[in-house]
Parts: sequence; structure tokens; C-alpha cells
Amino acid sequence: MSDELYDKLCQSVVDGEPEEAAELAQMALDQGLDPLDCINRGLTPGIDRVGELFATGDYYLPDLIIGGDAMKAALAVLEPALTQGRERQIVARVVLGTVQGDLHEIGKTLVGTMLTANGFQVTDIGVDKPASEFVAAVKDSGSTLVGASALLTTTMLHQQDVIEALKEAGLRDKVKVMVGGAPITETWADKIGADGYAEDAISAVALAKKLVSG
Amino acid sequence: MPNIQPIRSRYRFEVLSGDQVRAIQDATLEVLDQVGIHIPSPRALDVFAQNGAAIDAERQIVRLAPDLVRQALAQAPRSYTLAGRVPGTELYLDGAATYAGTDGCGTQTVDFDSGVQRPSCKDDVAKMARVSDYLSSVSFYWPMVSAQDFGPLAPLHELDAAFNNTVKHVQSETVMGQASARYAVRMAEVIAGDRARLRANPPFSMLICTIAPLAQDKEGIEAGMVYAEAGVPVGFMAMPNMGATAPAVPGGALVVGNAEVVAAMVLMQLVAPGAPVFYSLLASVMDPHTADYIVAIPEKYLCNAAAVQLAHDWGVPVLAGAFGMDAAEPATWELGRDSVYTALMVPLAGADMITGGGMLKASTLLVPEQLIYDDEIYHTHRVLLEGIETSAEALAVDVIQAVGPRGHYLGQRHTRRHLRDIWIPALTHPRPAAPDHAQTDIRCRAKAQLDRILAEHQPEPLERAAQDELRAILEAARQESGA
Repeated sequence: MSDELYDKLCQSVVDGEPEEAAELAQMALDQGLDPLDCINRGLTPGIDRVGELFATGDYYLPDLIIGGDAMKAALAVLEPALTQGRERQIVARVVLGTVQGDLHEIGKTLVGTMLTANGFQVTDIGVDKPASEFVAAVKDSGSTLVGASALLTTTMLHQQDVIEALKEAGLRDKVKVMVGGAPITETWADKIGADGYAEDAISAVALAKKLVSG
Repeated sequence: MPNIQPIRSRYRFEVLSGDQVRAIQDATLEVLDQVGIHIPSPRALDVFAQNGAAIDAERQIVRLAPDLVRQALAQAPRSYTLAGRVPGTELYLDGAATYAGTDGCGTQTVDFDSGVQRPSCKDDVAKMARVSDYLSSVSFYWPMVSAQDFGPLAPLHELDAAFNNTVKHVQSETVMGQASARYAVRMAEVIAGDRARLRANPPFSMLICTIAPLAQDKEGIEAGMVYAEAGVPVGFMAMPNMGATAPAVPGGALVVGNAEVVAAMVLMQLVAPGAPVFYSLLASVMDPHTADYIVAIPEKYLCNAAAVQLAHDWGVPVLAGAFGMDAAEPATWELGRDSVYTALMVPLAGADMITGGGMLKASTLLVPEQLIYDDEIYHTHRVLLEGIETSAEALAVDVIQAVGPRGHYLGQRHTRRHLRDIWIPALTHPRPAAPDHAQTDIRCRAKAQLDRILAEHQPEPLERAAQDELRAILEAARQESGA
């Protein structure tokens, strides 16, 4: 019975059905299943499969995002029920946001989805966020990684503000900072003292893994 | 499931006004009545004589009165269906869609492996049939090159290679002469199942070229009569060359070509009333300095589109020319320019069939990956001509409300559903896992796509018994020819 439910949870993520995923998660809890098993044997294989299908080109970006939404919807039900010592294994916690004055959301959201799918715990603070909010989110979540997005040549300057604010708060040596966005280059990342730059959401995952492991 | 995506155009582009169509048809009837057509076939001359045409036996000229033409063509069906060898491969020639085929009759191939140009062979016909079987732009297959490794039996071997390597409809433009035509009909009967099925759902049709100006080829026209009697759809293609074999004016070229095609279609109706026939006219211009053949030129595009109107005015389906341009190299500015005009105007005019994909140097040189480039242009046109939908689902107001200002549409199920409906040009935007994805040179991508199709795609095989029967027919033809 439980195996069947794990398979259904997995499939709800593969199919990108957030409401169904949340319902299944609740059903699992009602039946007394361990929420961690639901995550590890249902949601994680599901999002892995989504990632595979995306990598082969069979899935499009909306499939990836809606698959991520389904996972998040189920996690929202399961995570509060996790007991001490039986928490979800995560690669790292990460704060993502688009810098002040910049309303571009899509690239940042894609990076968030890809990181979630790859085992990161993502705190997405949204768009048009001042440096102080990045700092506050790092403190609140205990994140060790920050991703700052900027799509405009006028707003990319604020990526540097985020780094400066982390320094002022005494957090710079505890967190790695990665930057991205259409006008951003490796050279710019070096110039402002960021730890890395990735061109797209897929390479952002590789970069994030490298930064948190080293 | 066979992969066929015809073009269903929402628009109709008319090169000629109604009065202009009338003027060309009247001029054509006048030429047929007063000048006549050279038909070097005793059997054809007999048929015409029995039906009241004016015959000059010595000069082998037939003159056709307008009433005879009209009465004969009134018997030709406007709509009929071409079939493949499995269900789902049908071409409904009913005016609602344009189906595309490959080019054919080439003599040179750029070798699949070495890239070096060489004489064409049967294996080229087989390989390209497999590629055509895969590509959704290709609805029917013309054996693309001559099976020169089989000498005088090449045309029948081309059919054998085609039938064995694609489930799609096969149309030949090389099996001429009564004897060869009878073998081709037998091969088609094997594919269809029997004689009655061949008539009802022909998996094979034939295109025969007329001779410009105002003449028929003996072998062609005699083969045509065999096909018409067997119920194999048969088309006639005029190829007036402005300045050389036709007047140096598009109107005059249309009159000359029209007369050639009409005379041949009339003969088919006299031999086999109600026989499915189709019309084809591909114009060109003589290079005024070298007498070379220029196909990439506006007058040709205009004539090819006008010919669609003329065919439909006669009440028969039409095969229009597309692709098969002058250029010698793929992926050039020249070819891009020319391919778009030639392949866009004829479906816009409402052609039932178009042909010409995959060949360069005025349809003489097979460049295998050219079919990949042409596939991409074809699909661009297919989407262009399908136009824009305005249903509630297509206007998506509920989704626009749900997302609101400052949001994005990536996470919407509507987006997930409809993004898949959008055709993505794979040569310029390859799938992430495609073998050509890492290639930045468009030529390498096209070649990689071709190589992948050849490595992976296996059409549904022809039944073993049918394969054996085709071989036996080829052997009988070989013995009869003494080859």
C-alpha cells in the first residue's frame, strides 16, 4: 500500500500536478506513513525523473517548473510533520533573489527550481529586493549560498551591493555568492568579488554544488 | 504511426484574376485546336482519331476541338486519395491540404560518408526513402536519384528501393514505356494487395513529363495509357523554358505548358474515362547569355502558382514545383532566398501536392542533408499558412487574469499544454540531448540530424512475401529486357 502511494507521489511530480501531490502527501500522513520516506521514496525520485526528461529535451521549462511546484506543494504538507533527527537531507540552503530596481523573475525562478530539484533548500525572496533583504534572509534561513540575479546593465551594479552588505554584516566568509543574468559575465563576477557566475539554470546547479563543496 | 504533416492554408493567393484564367484557357484551347500537339505514338493517334480529333498522321500531330477537350476533362475526378502501404499515409487530394514530396530523377549524389560527388545508385534511393519515411514534411516519395547501377532496369529498381524503405506513397517519374509500365503496375499491385485495391487506394502514382514545346514523349505517353487503364493516378508535367522552348513571357509559357498537359490528360480520359489524373507545370527562364536553365527566378514562381489555378479550373488536382533550386551548395544565402519563394507561393495558391525537396543544381544533384534544410523551411511555411487561432483557449484570457501584471507564464498549465504545439526549428534550436546540440555550424547540425535518422529510423518493413514478389517481378523484367 505504502509503495503504491510513493509511486503515486512520484508520478504526481513527474506529471506536474501540485494539487494532487499535496493531497497524496496528506493521505500518506493520514495513513501514518513516515514523511521522510514519502520525500525520499516519492518526491525525490519524481523530481529526478523530471530532471532527466528535461536534460534529454523531452520536457520543456514549464514541465520543469510545474514539476517543481508539485514537489513544493507536497513538501509544504510533509516537512512540518518531520520529526527531530528525521529531517530531509539537503545539499545546502540557498537564498535567491533579483536585485533592487529589477523586476525580472524568470531566470531566478528557473535557477530556484533546478536547485530544488537537485536537493537544495531554496529561499526565494522575490524580485526588486534591496541588499539588506538578502542579508536578512541569509540570517533567517542559515543559508551558505546566495544567488543574486540582474537582467539590466543599470541594476547589475546592485549585485555588488549585496556582496558589500554581506561583508558589513560579517557574513561574507560564511556564504558563497553567485551572480547571473543576461548582461553578467565571468569578468563582471570577478570584478565585484563574487564567487562564481553561471550562464543558465543548468550550469547554475553545477556551480552551486561546486561552491558548497569547496 | 506514419508521420505526415500536410499544409492546411487559411489563405488563398491568386496570381491570376478570373478573367486572366479565362484568357489563358481560351488561348490554350485555340492552340490545341489550331496548332495541335505532336504525339509520336500510333496507339495514341488511333485513340484520338476514334474520338473525332483531327489527325495529321504523317506529322503525328493531333488537333483537339474545344468541345472534345472539355468533354474529356469533365470526366476526370477533381478529388481522389493516394495511399501508402499502411493506414495513416493517405493523401486526400481534395483541395483542403498541400502534401509535399521529395525531388527526384537526379544523377549525382554527394556521398553519405565521404562527401564526394559521384554517380547515383540504388542504395541512395533506399537511404533517402528511409529519411523521407521519418520526416513529417514528406508525404510522398519520389525516388530521388537514378539507380544507375541497374542500367536500363534502373526505374523499376528505384521503385523496389522505395517500396522497401518507406510506408509512404511512392510516385515515380522514370518508369516509361509500355513494357516497364506493366511491370510497375504489377509491383504496385503487390504493394496494394491486388488489382482492385490498387484502383481503390493506389500506393503508387506516376508523373510523366511532356516535351516543350507542344509535344509528348512516345515512351511517356504510352506508359501513361497503361497506368490510366490500371487506375494508377497519372500526372503530366510541362516544363516550359521561357526564351528557349516557350515564349519569353510568363503568359505564353503558361499557354504552351497548359496545352501539353491538357492534351495528355484528354488522352487518358479517352483511354480510361474517369481515370485519376493530375496537372503539373514548372516554368523556368533561359539564361540569356549561356542558354542555361534558371529556375530560381520570379517568373517561375509566378507561373508555378498560376498553374495551380489553371489545374483547378480544369477540375483536376495539381502537383506544383517547390525547392530543387539552381544553387550548387546547401546552406547558402542564394538557396535560402530561393527556397522560401518557391516553397511558399504554391501552397499559398492551394496546390494539392508540391515536390522538390532535397536536391540542388536544378534537381540534378542529391545532397542528402538538403532534405533536412528543406524540412525546416517547409514547416516554417506550414505554420505560417495555418494562421492564428482566436478560440477562447487560444486567447487565454483566464490565464492572463491568473498571471496578472508582473508575473510570468512559465508555471501555467496552459503554457505547458500549448508550448508543445509550437513547432521549434530544430536546426537553429536543437534539443539539449540531440547529437548535433554541441555543433555550432548549421551544416554539421544538418548532417548530424541526417546521420541520426539513418542510424535509428527503420520503417515498418514490407512483408517478406511482398519483398519476394517484387524481386521476382524485377527478375522477369530483367529476362525480358535481355539485360
